Amino acid sequence: MFLDESLRRIRMLFQGRRFQKELDDEMRLHRELREHQYLEHGKDPEAARREANRRFGNATALKEKSYRTWGWGWLESLMQDLRYGVRAMFRSPALTIVALLSLALGIGANTAIFSFIDTLMLRSLPVKDPAQLMFFGREGESGITDDIASTTLYSYPFFREMQKRNSVFSDVAALLSMWNSIHGTIEGQDAMQPMRVQLVSGSYFPTLGVQAIQGRVLTEADDTTEDDHPVVVVSYAWWKRALASDPAVLNRKLILGTTKFDIVGVAPPEFFGTSVGEAPDMWVPLSMMHSVPPLWDGYKNNFWEAMYLIGRLKPGVSSEQATSNVNLLYQQIIRSFPDADLSARNLGYLQRAHVGLTPMSKGLSSLRRQFSDPLGVLMGITTLVLLIACANIANLLLARSTARARELAVRQALGAGRLRIMRQLLTESLVLALTGGLLGIGLARIADRLLLRMISGGPDLVPIDVSINTHLLLFTFAVTVSTAVLFGIIPAFRSTRLELTEALKDGRGSSSKGSSRSRLGKILIVSQIALSLVLMVGAVLFIRTLVDLNNVDTGFNREGVLRLEIDSNVTGLKSDDPRMIAMFQQIEQRVSVLPGVKAASFASFLFNQGSWSTSIRVLGQSLNDQVNIKHNVVGNGYLATMQIPLLAGRTFGPQDTATSHKVAIISERMAKDLFPADVNPIGLHYYAGYTGTEPKPKEEIEVIGVVKDVKFGSLQERPQYIDYMPNPQHPWGYGTLAVRYTGDFDAISRSVQQAIHSINPRLPISHIGTLDEQVSSTLTYHRIVAQLSAFFGLLAVFLSCIGIYGLMSYMVGKRTSEIGIRIAIGASRASVRWLVLREIALLAIIGVAIGVPVTIATGRLVAAMLFGLHGADTVSLLASVAALLIVALLAGYLPARRAARVDPVVALRYE
Amino acid sequence: MKRDEIPPGTLYLLILKALSLHGPLHGYEMANFIQQSSDEILQVEEGSLYPALQRMLLKGWVTAEWGVTAGNRRARYYRLTPAGRKQLTVELSQFERVFGAIQRITQIA
Repeated sequence: MFLDESLRRIRMLFQGRRFQKELDDEMRLHRELREHQYLEHGKDPEAARREANRRFGNATALKEKSYRTWGWGWLESLMQDLRYGVRAMFRSPALTIVALLSLALGIGANTAIFSFIDTLMLRSLPVKDPAQLMFFGREGESGITDDIASTTLYSYPFFREMQKRNSVFSDVAALLSMWNSIHGTIEGQDAMQPMRVQLVSGSYFPTLGVQAIQGRVLTEADDTTEDDHPVVVVSYAWWKRALASDPAVLNRKLILGTTKFDIVGVAPPEFFGTSVGEAPDMWVPLSMMHSVPPLWDGYKNNFWEAMYLIGRLKPGVSSEQATSNVNLLYQQIIRSFPDADLSARNLGYLQRAHVGLTPMSKGLSSLRRQFSDPLGVLMGITTLVLLIACANIANLLLARSTARARELAVRQALGAGRLRIMRQLLTESLVLALTGGLLGIGLARIADRLLLRMISGGPDLVPIDVSINTHLLLFTFAVTVSTAVLFGIIPAFRSTRLELTEALKDGRGSSSKGSSRSRLGKILIVSQIALSLVLMVGAVLFIRTLVDLNNVDTGFNREGVLRLEIDSNVTGLKSDDPRMIAMFQQIEQRVSVLPGVKAASFASFLFNQGSWSTSIRVLGQSLNDQVNIKHNVVGNGYLATMQIPLLAGRTFGPQDTATSHKVAIISERMAKDLFPADVNPIGLHYYAGYTGTEPKPKEEIEVIGVVKDVKFGSLQERPQYIDYMPNPQHPWGYGTLAVRYTGDFDAISRSVQQAIHSINPRLPISHIGTLDEQVSSTLTYHRIVAQLSAFFGLLAVFLSCIGIYGLMSYMVGKRTSEIGIRIAIGASRASVRWLVLREIALLAIIGVAIGVPVTIATGRLVAAMLFGLHGADTVSLLASVAALLIVALLAGYLPARRAARVDPVVALRYE
Repeated sequence: MKRDEIPPGTLYLLILKALSLHGPLHGYEMANFIQQSSDEILQVEEGSLYPALQRMLLKGWVTAEWGVTAGNRRARYYRLTPAGRKQLTVELSQFERVFGAIQRITQIA
């Protein structure tokens, strides 16, 4: 019954036009028949028509009533309001453009930032029941360790024991904490191509509950015995990109290292692994780790700890139960390994070790750890900008509603309800906001690409999905509607609460009634100035941080160095193979004699490329196994290439070979802190590779030189303990070559690549760039925050200026007659100008007075993101205050000048 | 001739009754029927039939279709539905209840 009625209603909505026409026809027929009747009764035509109409009643009202019966009246009036709102927008184009632009920027920026927050922090992994997944330990560590009490990185045998013995997980999966970023070939193709391989346990896909869209995923059967399951599951993106979505993908094969792998399946498109922002190209079972370059040998090693563990909780098991079970087993399993070194020291470490389980429904992400702070700050900034934009539009609408006061008064006098008028005004602001929101979404698309590029900090985009989704649309819609309410509600309230007779009287408001209206406007301006101050100081702080970081002395010369990567794994040689060592030396020699090249050297770590560290023991000093030394294996020309000053001793030379006694060059800080004071460290000996167990040093090393401290991992770090070791003595499968050059980068780059290929034509070369780029890429996050906060700071000030200008113009306009009188009775132009400027200055000073404590308070929030400054930096604060005051006065100057030019005769004649 | 307005709320009843007696009618015929059957006493503001008819269409008491009048003009004819017939008895009993009550009061001497 009700359903039928609703159906009829809806049908009616779509046939509105026909409905009107039929009703018209019907009513016309009625009146004509009546008229006809009267004519037959002998009335004259004029009277007949009049009588027929009289008996029929008010046709228009009746038609409207008929229409309202169907219950679509609200829609009708909404459409009317919308039309009216659009017309109103077009009537004052300047106001509309300013309002739309600031709205679009505000909403667009919020949407863009939110899309990153959504992707990195809010979205769940696209796997089955992600809430049941638990990560063993705390995120943030990766690599290989032999630490007896490691609680984040685990060995493969440990994983197997945990999987077998636990009673709280339905399954446990392991994955290598690093990628194998290698070059491999697709069978049937010659060219090597880069491949990012993720080694995972056979239980990885089943634990996550991910199914293949072609073929099958990896299973336990692929991970039973070492080295005889050459199978690989490829990602959807890689299948599309490298194999052009070949439908016969399951017949294709890959050659990684020297082993041929069968492609057995393709992962679903939305699956990117377990780390947000890192999408591997393929997954290979851990049983094959010794076949995939760099040929890790840890499948059976109890203390080759390099694996992350993920468990899926059994239904009904709490995370506390799981934690206690895991920790009980942790102690048992490690102690049960026959090769565990259970010295008193180690037992102490082990006893204190606690495995925390971290929920990982949103996946792992180094990107998230790195960017959650700046994204939060940026979200705050863009919200403030949006608030300023709202205040601005509220001000403009207030000014406009004054101009419309008479129109609204007339409508109220004619009987329009107050609610009806408020609804209309709110609809108008909603139209404005929705248009702004739509523009904002468009803008957000562009901003997203820009931000993604900024975050990626290089030519390869980070593989995260920031496209429009329901989350995002809901967010934007919520923002849009709340802005509309924010800037629309006050003007709507104001303009419907007026004394009709006052407003109906003409006049430019010589009455004092308008003063409360401009008081509201003033409050809005004051808050705009206060918010602008917060944003400006923030921008200044972030920019100074970026500049300071860029000016940090790295200890080496960042300019004039080309750097590139080679993949030496493709040779199939081990790094300690004499042929491999010779190959690196040949490349260094051939490149360094190229014209334009001053020096060239391989290094295991140039800058911010990770580290390899162990504790050491200096002969004659007591042991401190908490101090770790970062080792950098380099070529003989390294110091010359990087221009790191040698403070004492000598550099490496041809005399330092695999068989000669071991030597090292140490950093200044290491010499100062770890070697006996007042003794020249040159010639002293220390033991490296010290494992922290019994004093059984692996090798004795002689110090042959001391160099200036350099930045190793980041620009913010304190001086590090670093030793440099020659490659023949500590063979390293190099990847990075640094070349100091003069002249044209492209020409040098070409000749360097030719030189490398003349030694070995198969070596893949990638990531060609400069050292300077590599250093500044570590500032990505500071750069993003600095650039965006500067942009939004300027935007905020600009919007505030428009606000000040608008309000002052309005007030000058209202006071024209008063000013006219002042001038007529002898006030000078300058004093009139000052009259207006004084008002602006007062507002600006109040705004600043409110803004300063707010700024200092918010400064504390971002203190952790600053470098060498603190939140309440006086210089930044004073500079911002001064700039803001000047800009505010400039914005007010135009209206002030206009006031001073008022012609008293014209002004008074109007009265 | 003095004519009386129909009591409020009875318009539906009158339309339903007219349709049940005469079968399909258009608006003009209904107006005439109500007037004539009441010996010219009851007078509807003729146009007010149409909003009422719309409401009855919505409720599903009547259906409408276009037809041709005796004078060969296009007119919309309304026809009672089963639901309308049921409504007629509801309206009738309600009217009688109210009318009876009023009568009892006015007859108290």
